[in-house]
Amino acid sequence: MNLHTPTRNQYLPLLFGLMFLLAGCNPTVSRVESDTVTDLSGNWNDTDSRLVAQEMIQDVLSRNWLSKFNRDKGKAPTVIVGTVRNLSHEHINTRTFIADMERELINSGEVEFVASADAREEVRSEVKDQDLNATEESRKAMGNEVGADFMLQGSINSIVDAVSGEQARFYQIDLTLIELGTNRKVWVGQKKIKKTVEKGGFRL
Amino acid sequence: MTAIRDGYYMLNKQSPFFNRFLTRHVSFFLCLKVSLVLALGVFLQSCASYGSHATTMRDGLLIGHPELSLAIAEEKDKDLEEVVSSLDKGMLRRINNNYTGSNQVFEVAKQEIEKLYGFSVTENLASVTINETMRGYEGDRYEQLLLHAYMAMNYIQLGQFDSARVEMLQANVKMMEWGDEPDEDAFLRYLEGMIYESLGEDDSALISYRKAYTVYKEKGGEQYPVMPERIKKDLLRMLAWQGLWNEYKTYKKEFDMLDFKPVKDSNKFGELVVILNNGLAPIRNEKALYIFSPEVQQNLRVAFPAYDQPKQNLYLSQISVNDKQLRLETVEDIDTLARYSLEQDMPGIMARATARAVVKYNTQKTASDNSSIAGLLMTVTNLATERADTRSWTTLPQEIQLQRVLLPVGEHEVQIQFVNAAGRIVDVIEETVAIQPKRQSFVIKHWNTPIPKSKPGLKVSAEGPGVQGDTQETAVARSAK
Repeated sequence: MNLHTPTRNQYLPLLFGLMFLLAGCNPTVSRVESDTVTDLSGNWNDTDSRLVAQEMIQDVLSRNWLSKFNRDKGKAPTVIVGTVRNLSHEHINTRTFIADMERELINSGEVEFVASADAREEVRSEVKDQDLNATEESRKAMGNEVGADFMLQGSINSIVDAVSGEQARFYQIDLTLIELGTNRKVWVGQKKIKKTVEKGGFRL
Repeated sequence: MTAIRDGYYMLNKQSPFFNRFLTRHVSFFLCLKVSLVLALGVFLQSCASYGSHATTMRDGLLIGHPELSLAIAEEKDKDLEEVVSSLDKGMLRRINNNYTGSNQVFEVAKQEIEKLYGFSVTENLASVTINETMRGYEGDRYEQLLLHAYMAMNYIQLGQFDSARVEMLQANVKMMEWGDEPDEDAFLRYLEGMIYESLGEDDSALISYRKAYTVYKEKGGEQYPVMPERIKKDLLRMLAWQGLWNEYKTYKKEFDMLDFKPVKDSNKFGELVVILNNGLAPIRNEKALYIFSPEVQQNLRVAFPAYDQPKQNLYLSQISVNDKQLRLETVEDIDTLARYSLEQDMPGIMARATARAVVKYNTQKTASDNSSIAGLLMTVTNLATERADTRSWTTLPQEIQLQRVLLPVGEHEVQIQFVNAAGRIVDVIEETVAIQPKRQSFVIKHWNTPIPKSKPGLKVSAEGPGVQGDTQETAVARSAK
């Protein structure tokens, strides 16, 4: 093997050292607004969750099931959140956009929510505890819970098409409001999200 | 070293001139020697092969104390940067009944594998100049798919079937990405079918069973030596339930199962699914070979991985429930898959090894042309760094075995029995299972070897890091027969 000029050889270890340095440097943190789009891996992220919440809230408040219920019953409908099944190819936390929806709907004053099954259990045990330990005037009686008129159910589905290094991902989120007792569907909301992901063929 | 010092002391008495001369030179040689030994030590330590680590780690499993194995695994690579260590941790946490913790570390492994996507310039350069272990380990394809399978099994054991379904879909995407001829895994497809079935999605289950059967058939012989009878029955049953009678008849003829009658879907019955992880996967060991390089006209030493242990004979396993005995069938022969996979990789490994040997030979030659000490140093370094890549997921079982049986709704005592060559039952795993109407109840276990009842002098601390829950009660009740 022919040796190159010594000066050139001297730089080689330096170069390697630099590469390792670059690979293992400290994390840099910068704060961003919570509505900034940060697409890193192409997986489901906060932006997707927010887009779904926005679409669904707008839709659910503008449809006529609300006014119809108001006209017929003369009060705001009470809704309970059921299960939103994740049938997609990713582990998606459905609670984020459901919580967004709940907040918007409650704050609009047109819809009331009752606590979900899990939350109810905790509240009930607290009421039970009050029965023993709270003062007479502050004590809450049992059996005064409000029954829900509608249940919100839904699912997330996804279709992924992929060839080496490239993916097209399609998500469809369906939410349904079902009237308790009659099982009538009064509202169906849908949001579709599509993205393409390209992975780099090279890395350090 | 004492010899040098003694000699130095003796000479010291003789003449002051010699004294000065030696002080300078002996200290130089001492320095050189110490630094050489140190350098070698560092190399040997950092390059201690994965294979030998795995052997130590697996000892705990072989004496019936998986918590000891877990403790060793948790000590290694605490930052969870190496995929292979994370895979071991995940599997051992699973075996110690910590399913949530297992999935946490598996998830890390999954993301690290994702990061290793793409061709790395530096790693590949290092693999042809230093050794193969400089390449990032992303696992063989069968290991990558089994990662999803074990995560799914964790979710099943946690009762989260929707999440298990997510894992199956992710494995699907992975296989899709691998291209036109996907490296399908028959067991993964079979498991996928069972997960769909337990979620009531019979149409999807049918597709999975059909795919599983096709993989068993097409990769039969080499990667799947034996076609399980069970998959045929499940495929036929599902075809009947979906009313695809033409296909049903074709397969019935193909299977030569003309007297097969599909069971009716009934509310009075549920299904017991037993998945047994039996034995341990083979370990790769380092082998060295001298090969002739026409380029430099020399015999050069190269190191490469090999499975030098023959395949172990497993104890026969069967389930016993309601006085019925049923053999467990092999649905994934990981030992065979591992050997097959290495065989496929061998041409690439040898090509890189040869290239590396030539590079190393040339560095030695140029160094010794300059000075003999530099040449010696280079030779030692090259010898010490020539290591084979013995990394593989060694906490996998040797075989995954399966049996399914319809049982009346209610509680049942299930036994998994292990039988030796003489037909004697050597070990038993007992479990009470609640069968629900039209649902699948899973019993998933790991087993290695029969454990002698009393082991005097063996004390076990259950406080390994990451061990959660009750490790003593390993859900595996062992009774000596």
